[in-house]
Amino acid sequence: MPDHLTPEVERELAAVDDALAGRPVASELGALALLLRADRPEPGPTFGPALDAKVARGFRGPGPRRRASGRRWSAWLMPALGVTATVVLVALVVISSPGRSDENASGGGQTASGRVQESARPQDDASAGASAAAEDGASSETFAEPAPGSVPPAPGDGSPGSDGRSNRRVERSASLTLAARPRDIDTVSARVQDVTRQQGGFVVSSTVNSSTGGTFELRIPTRNLDAAMAGLARLGKVRERSQRSRDITAGAVSARSRLTDAKAERQSLLAQLAEAVTVAETESIRARLKLVSGEIEQARAAKRRVDNRAAFSTVSVMLVADASAAAPGAQDDSWTPRDAARDALRVLEVAAGIALIALALGVPLALLAALAALGAHWARRRRREHALDAV
Amino acid sequence: MTSTLTAPLPSRTSSPALDFEALYRAARDDVYAYVATLLRDRGAAEDVTAAAFERAYRKQRTYKEARGSGRAWLFGIARNAALDELRRRKRTAALAAEPADVEAALPEDAAEAALRRAAVRSALATLGPRERELIALKFHGGLDNAELAAVIGVSVSNAGTQLHRAMTKLREAVEHA
Repeated sequence: MPDHLTPEVERELAAVDDALAGRPVASELGALALLLRADRPEPGPTFGPALDAKVARGFRGPGPRRRASGRRWSAWLMPALGVTATVVLVALVVISSPGRSDENASGGGQTASGRVQESARPQDDASAGASAAAEDGASSETFAEPAPGSVPPAPGDGSPGSDGRSNRRVERSASLTLAARPRDIDTVSARVQDVTRQQGGFVVSSTVNSSTGGTFELRIPTRNLDAAMAGLARLGKVRERSQRSRDITAGAVSARSRLTDAKAERQSLLAQLAEAVTVAETESIRARLKLVSGEIEQARAAKRRVDNRAAFSTVSVMLVADASAAAPGAQDDSWTPRDAARDALRVLEVAAGIALIALALGVPLALLAALAALGAHWARRRRREHALDAV
Repeated sequence: MTSTLTAPLPSRTSSPALDFEALYRAARDDVYAYVATLLRDRGAAEDVTAAAFERAYRKQRTYKEARGSGRAWLFGIARNAALDELRRRKRTAALAAEPADVEAALPEDAAEAALRRAAVRSALATLGPRERELIALKFHGGLDNAELAAVIGVSVSNAGTQLHRAMTKLREAVEHA
């Protein structure tokens, strides 16, 4: 079919248009055009008013409208359900997988800690002895014996002879692992000592490296142990915290009994010395008094050790460097602007992830839908044209 | 081709791009005439015309002025509706002829005109469906050549060539009638 009109065709088509426009023409096709237009089908008399009424109502009829709205409802429902299901699925995936590794790591830490605690039990006696020696003015080498970060002694099994007594003596110990930013190590170290002093305690030993952290062996009055632990916990991010209690009432009773017995024996020897008449008898009693005096001193020292173990608690603090830790003094569970920014970033990451997944799902689906719509449109058009040819 | 409508249209039906009310008023009977010629069934033509206007009413927001006149857009919808009807029925019904006794009672010159119209009508029936559609769009639907081209999806010159060919064929058929 030529894509341009010949002059003759143009002239005859113009004549047709002129005839339709009412201009006089001397063309057969013009006359034919007038005949064709005059013979066009006209609708019945009721058709026009009926259609006018439909148009005036906006084609709102009870039946068709219900069907139309139903189609519209279902047309929106399925995509909405699909999008909702996708979002829920993505949210579940995001919530269940990323960011949960911290908890797992923490759990692993707890397990490791448990193993360490089990292995630390044999050191209890040594630690207790070391504590007593410290009170007696022993050198720091005695207190350096417990490994840094070692866990406190495990509670004892109790003593059959002491159970049920009202004046019970309990030895308490604790360990704390703190994380602080490398640049805050020195500050936190100083504050550890401040807290110790504020709570009436003292630092038995400490080893601090400004870049990697350090360890502290503290003795804190037992009555202030909880307050001291709370104060120490505020100095950094708490990685691990544990406390142990051990009943040492039996040891205290034993030490007191030995002292009482030795004192009674000394009184007895002093009375015998007063009644001694011979030199040999006097010398013998003096020699025994000397031995008993030694026993009394030993009993007093033992009693002081036991009392000291009950009065002071050993606190082991391990300080580790961690760039992500909070600043000193910041509460571990506080919500700072930095936390807010981190949370906001996390929300954006999740939102971007959801959008990316939705995009990854949506683009291919949209392309498929577009292709399907295009194919359906083409097929429908073909069928229509075929219907015209078949007339 | 002219019609008088008195029923007011809902205000929301009008859009900035398409004045549906004006389009309806101007094209109602033209659309009917085109559809009736295509279907050759007056009753079905009324139903299809009504369905086409309803479809156009609901899709009026999709009209793009840049893609052609509102009239061409409306006739495209009507064409699709008519072709869907043809597909559905898989058959055609003869266009109801004007009552012969009425024409017989006309005066002599009127009877002469009626005879010429009858000759044209019978000649029109000899054309192929696509040629008959071109005639219907041009002379019953009142479309210009550009609108006609837009409806059937060809260029304007191509539409003009096809129309001229159909009219020539029709003229020959009338002469031999």
